[in-house]
Amino acid sequence: MDAGASAYLIRPNYKDKFKAVLAKECIGEILREQLYGAQYDPEEAPALSRALADSIKNKLRDVGFDRYKLVVQVVVGEQRGEGVKMAARCFWDADTDSYAQDIFMNDSLFCVAAAFGVYYY
Amino acid sequence: MDPVKKITKEDTWRSDDLKVHIEAHNEESKRRSKREEEHRKYRDGESLDRRRRDPDRDAKREKEKRRERESTREKSKHRDPDGDRNQDDKLEDIREDRYKERKRERERDNRHRDGDEEEKRHSRGEKETGERRRDREKDRYKDRDIDMYSQGARGTNREGEKDRDRRRTERDRERKSETDRRKEERRDGEKDERERDKERERERRERHRARESEQQRHEHEEKQRDGERRERRSDKEHSGHKEKEHRRDREDREKRRRDKESHVAHTSHSREAEQHHQESKESKDYFHSIKDGDREKAREREERDKRREKRHKEASESKRSDRERKHKDSSGHDLSERINRDKEEPTKIPQLTWRSVQAEMSDPEIPVENEETEENKQSSQDRNDYEEDFEDYEEDFENVDEEEDDNEEEEEKEEHDKKLREDKRELSPKRREEIEAIQRAIDEENARIYSARSKPTTAESAVTQSERHSVDRSRTHGKIIDFVSAKQREVSQKVAKKQKQRSEELLRLIDLDFSITFSLLELPPVNEYDMYIKNFGAANTKQAYVQCNEDNTDRDIQTEEVNTTDKWTQHPPEANAACGGSRASEDSADESTSRINTNSQRLTTFLRSAAQVMAVLIEENMAESNSVKRLRSQTDALSFSDGCIQLNTKLPFLHGRQVSLLQFSQVQRQTLLSVHPPSSKSSAVRLDSETIICVWNIWEPSRPQKILLYESEVRCCCFSPGKVTLVFAGTEIGSVVVWDLREHSGTHLNLVVGKEVWTLRYPTFSTDAVLSVVGHLSPVVSIEPVLATADTSLKSTLTADIDESLGLSFQLGSLDENGVLTLWVVVELHKGNDSGSQTDLGLRPGGKVKLLHSSSLQTTEKSPQDVIMGFGPPVSLQLKFLPSDSNHYFIGTNMGLVRHGTRHSLKVLPKFYRSQFDSCRPVEVTALDFSPSGEPLFLVGCSDGTVRMHSVQREDPLMEWSGCSSGASILSVQWSQTRPAVFCVLDAASDLHIWDLTMKDYVPFVTENIHNDRVTAMAVFGEPAKQNTFSGVALAKQSGKVEIQYFKESLTVPNACDTEKLKSFLHNAFLI
Repeated sequence: MDAGASAYLIRPNYKDKFKAVLAKECIGEILREQLYGAQYDPEEAPALSRALADSIKNKLRDVGFDRYKLVVQVVVGEQRGEGVKMAARCFWDADTDSYAQDIFMNDSLFCVAAAFGVYYY
Repeated sequence: MDPVKKITKEDTWRSDDLKVHIEAHNEESKRRSKREEEHRKYRDGESLDRRRRDPDRDAKREKEKRRERESTREKSKHRDPDGDRNQDDKLEDIREDRYKERKRERERDNRHRDGDEEEKRHSRGEKETGERRRDREKDRYKDRDIDMYSQGARGTNREGEKDRDRRRTERDRERKSETDRRKEERRDGEKDERERDKERERERRERHRARESEQQRHEHEEKQRDGERRERRSDKEHSGHKEKEHRRDREDREKRRRDKESHVAHTSHSREAEQHHQESKESKDYFHSIKDGDREKAREREERDKRREKRHKEASESKRSDRERKHKDSSGHDLSERINRDKEEPTKIPQLTWRSVQAEMSDPEIPVENEETEENKQSSQDRNDYEEDFEDYEEDFENVDEEEDDNEEEEEKEEHDKKLREDKRELSPKRREEIEAIQRAIDEENARIYSARSKPTTAESAVTQSERHSVDRSRTHGKIIDFVSAKQREVSQKVAKKQKQRSEELLRLIDLDFSITFSLLELPPVNEYDMYIKNFGAANTKQAYVQCNEDNTDRDIQTEEVNTTDKWTQHPPEANAACGGSRASEDSADESTSRINTNSQRLTTFLRSAAQVMAVLIEENMAESNSVKRLRSQTDALSFSDGCIQLNTKLPFLHGRQVSLLQFSQVQRQTLLSVHPPSSKSSAVRLDSETIICVWNIWEPSRPQKILLYESEVRCCCFSPGKVTLVFAGTEIGSVVVWDLREHSGTHLNLVVGKEVWTLRYPTFSTDAVLSVVGHLSPVVSIEPVLATADTSLKSTLTADIDESLGLSFQLGSLDENGVLTLWVVVELHKGNDSGSQTDLGLRPGGKVKLLHSSSLQTTEKSPQDVIMGFGPPVSLQLKFLPSDSNHYFIGTNMGLVRHGTRHSLKVLPKFYRSQFDSCRPVEVTALDFSPSGEPLFLVGCSDGTVRMHSVQREDPLMEWSGCSSGASILSVQWSQTRPAVFCVLDAASDLHIWDLTMKDYVPFVTENIHNDRVTAMAVFGEPAKQNTFSGVALAKQSGKVEIQYFKESLTVPNACDTEKLKSFLHNAFLI
């Protein structure tokens, strides 16, 4: 019970700060690894997206980002020529929180992975 | 009835008791968890019972709750902090409590019938570990049951056994009565209080009834007991039943405890409710158990119960019974067992998740635990009550009184302690906060429960009753879940509180805002064609087309013809053209060509030659039209003449001048030089003292082509051996001069006479200045070009060759009167110098031709002295070079001899060519001419009128004609150019003799005497070419006229036999 202790770390250390570029690289790497030559299969898509999200989250955890809560969203869709528009909006502290996203596309599917890093004070 | 006050009392007492057991909390909780495990095993079977009892108890509790709600906060304020004390405080309290308890126990013990040491020990142990004690009691209970049932009734425990049996049956009955009560509740369950009062009355009635039927029932029970005993021995069912009872109590306790955990204030209510319940039970028990005539007492007690606050009594009873039970226990052999168990049990630390969860919440747990222990104690006391009611009933009153006193005393102490504790409590604000939070939670819980309960109570119907029951059941059932969830709720509430605090503090420090909308993906729709192509491409196919009716392919081209022209250019221009095109017509090509040529030097040359041709043609036309008639008349006059052209010598500057000399070019045979020496008469033009030389083209007789001037008299002149470009002249003053006819007219004096412009040319080069040493010292009498290796047989080609091979470099020989033969080299400069030359003093400014002195020969010294003695100095008059060999020169002298020599002073024979008759006489050789036909023959004309024909090899002449000219001096002798055996002789008597040796060799073939205008000079011309053969003679008249007489064809055209005839003639002549 240290509710009285009011020393908060309201800013992450620089090395722990959520770096979008770094995260984007990680995401892109995983997407490329796991989706290379993948064909869209509606049966496997849910599991695939979940697996992708988990692996991205783990990878980001390995990279660092201490005291960050990570939210990873993966959307896998089939490429059929339809237009797709995805957007995200966040209520957060823009000083500490950030997000990274990467897109993978081939003839059969598209995959959008977005990782939101929310700092835990 | 003043429940509030009593409740407070009760509470304080219990909180005190609670304090006693604080120390044992941990172990107790462990044991409790262990117990719970046991309970869980039986829970399924028990649930019914418990549920049956629950509504009643709940109702009571609810009522109590309502009653006490006002005082709850105060109480809890007082009471709760007790549980919140730190371990040290607790320990202190415990020590104090222990001490008090001991004191109390001692008092009690003294008062008790048997004040055993064991009892003390036991009570001490009980004080130390209430929980342990409870367990021990439990176990003992079990053990006792087992002992009783297994071993049969012991002597000492006979009564107790009976009591137990009785109690058991009573419980059964109680259960029935409870079911009844429940039914009643269903019937009139809306007003709990009233109901409870009724219930109590009813219970009382029942108790009375029970008492009445006690006797019968007892008998019956006696019988039953025997059977039951047997049953118990054989099977465990009965023990299970007992167990059930036991368990039920415990579960009730548990439930209560849970309630307390979630709601501290509630615990007191529930506890009170439980106490009520137990009280009622006890009262029943009392009534049932009093069979031996204790009814009055029981009644009294009942009355007292009614009078006094039930809980208070109950508590005292429980205490009392506890003590009694202890007495009894102490007497039992179970004690040692119990002690052992006491020792063993702490070692048994059950590991339960629930316990671990509880451990986390140790702080709020403490009061609950304490209360729980209290309750456990109560329950155990309850149990003991059943056994000990009868034995110690009377003592109860005393004990109660004592207890009350004790309680009061304790209260005082407690208050004192409380103050101390509160002082300590002041130090822990955190706790206080927690407590407040818990209180809040309690209030919420109360409100929730009340709202849940108040609803069904309003309903009267059985349906609502059953509903309520079900609600209650579900509630009770839910309460089991609530136990965990409430825990969690509390935990989560705490966490939430903590987080809320965090968030409050943090939100002051940070700013949250809405981010801009991140566009994660924007994939525009693919249009149909792209999609098609994409799929198409993926299908490993390709696009192709097919043309049906292939041969009918239609093609259309619409273009305009392109105009193309080929053009070419060449720089520098070559072959008269610098550019042109294939398409261009010939005219335009010519045009372009001519345009290019305008700047060329070739144009000048062309124009020059073309102008000559054109001029000649024009002249001929004019001459034909003008002088045909006159020519005819003259033709009549001259028998040999075929026609005559008169040169236009009627020029202003030629007026009054005679022609001293006529000379034709050897190459361009139509070109004629006429030398006009200055006349005695003064003319209009001021050229009197100067000799004028005119260059004529005989086909252009209207005017001379060039007019040459020289200051002194010109004795001789000649053309250059090639083309007519240079004119050489030997002068009276002994100089040799050169005219370059190519010089531009602009550089010369232009004389305007009348309408015509005449260009008067002065010599380009003169030896006057230069040749002072090497030049001629006497008048130059003859000048002759030296033809290098002239070939007589190929004369025409020879001349051309000379022209080309020599260019303008050739030698020139000049002979003066003293017999000095000088050879000159004619040099043409590449570039003229308009400003004049420093070195070549004789050169005219801008002139390009000069003469270099080559060598000089004195030809006269070799003349034999004997021949020339007595006759003055020898005079050289004529110079000729042998045409076949230009090294040989022939000089005519004034002694009638022709001297023969070579340029290189070689001795050649014959040295002289002399007359046939006399070897030496003073006769001037006036004419000397070699045969142009190539024969080594030359003619010599002498001033005494004789003409000789010599062969080169012989000194003597072949022929000598002396009588034909009648003594007149011979002026000129010249061979015909076309016929080898024909020559012309002009004498001073103006007689012209034409000899044809093939016809006549002794007299001239034709002799023509021109009297009206004497002929002063003559020159023969002719073209030996096969076609267009012409020949003639130019005659210079005394009047200054120059006539060109064409010979008739007989004199012109050579015969085939001419050469043979000539040879035979010559052969004959030799022979002669």
